[in-house]
Amino acid sequence: MTDEKEFIQELLNPKTQNTAFQKLLSDYQKPLYSHIRNIVLDHEDANDVLQNTFVKVFQYLKNFKGESKLFSWMYRIATNEALTFLNQKAKLNGLTSEALQTKTIENLKSDVYFDGDEIQIKLQKAIVTLPEKQQLVFKMKYFEELKYEEIAEILGTSVGALKASYHHAVKKIEIYVTSN
Amino acid sequence: MKAFKLENEPKIKSGFTTPEHYFDDFSAKVLQQINNEKEVKVLPLYKRKNVISIAAAAVIVFALMIPIVNNYNATSKELDEATLETYLSYQSNLNQYDLIQNLDTTDLQKLNKNVAIEDETLEDILASNPNIEHLITE
Repeated sequence: MTDEKEFIQELLNPKTQNTAFQKLLSDYQKPLYSHIRNIVLDHEDANDVLQNTFVKVFQYLKNFKGESKLFSWMYRIATNEALTFLNQKAKLNGLTSEALQTKTIENLKSDVYFDGDEIQIKLQKAIVTLPEKQQLVFKMKYFEELKYEEIAEILGTSVGALKASYHHAVKKIEIYVTSN
Repeated sequence: MKAFKLENEPKIKSGFTTPEHYFDDFSAKVLQQINNEKEVKVLPLYKRKNVISIAAAAVIVFALMIPIVNNYNATSKELDEATLETYLSYQSNLNQYDLIQNLDTTDLQKLNKNVAIEDETLEDILASNPNIEHLITE
């Protein structure tokens, strides 16, 4: 943890800020991209949200109290940014967030930055039927392979509740895929 | 159809990919955006100015209200006894009968004490009063 404290100090010090922020970017850009992309589904949207996430991280670093790990704090910002983005986009198009995602999934086949076949699309369609929280938990556990402890810190819930959520999500997905 | 079990299946990847070399220049883009945001920071300054002028206006309004408030407080003081007495005797329809009506036993006893005059004094008054007959007949 002392390493992290030092690193945060480097991020705040104007002299070391640039190098430290570069390191932060190269460490986190890929995992945060996957996290955001799994939520917003479209590459261009994920790109926008990821950029905004890092800008926010940079702006709010001085307010970072070190109560949680930098890792989970950044994931939390990314999650909020992605969900807010989805809601705004849905509102702009006069759709519900779920309808928007269903539409995006239908367009996935023609997305040049999607390399999947039927089963991937079916899995995505199954995920959309879940409540928002279960979607998040499932994506973070199954696709991003985060630990329950990490997800608990990011989403601010208990490990037990997450395990239950994941279990429900898997059951619903299996039923959906079997019957479709 | 065979029941689908996620754990029996080979791991399904999300299938999301990125353009080639996407991450190569990503950090540069972010830093660029951060610098742009810094330049646009004129906005909050303008907003703050606005807030200050609104605050100043509010202070002036309150300051102008001080004499009004003071005046209001001054007029709302309780009536003093003399004013009340004057009012009762000149402005109201109260007469002595109304006052007598409102006297209770304790008031009467108090009055009695005050009126108790010694016999001698009474005799003096009667003797020195030239209109004694007039008084008796009344």
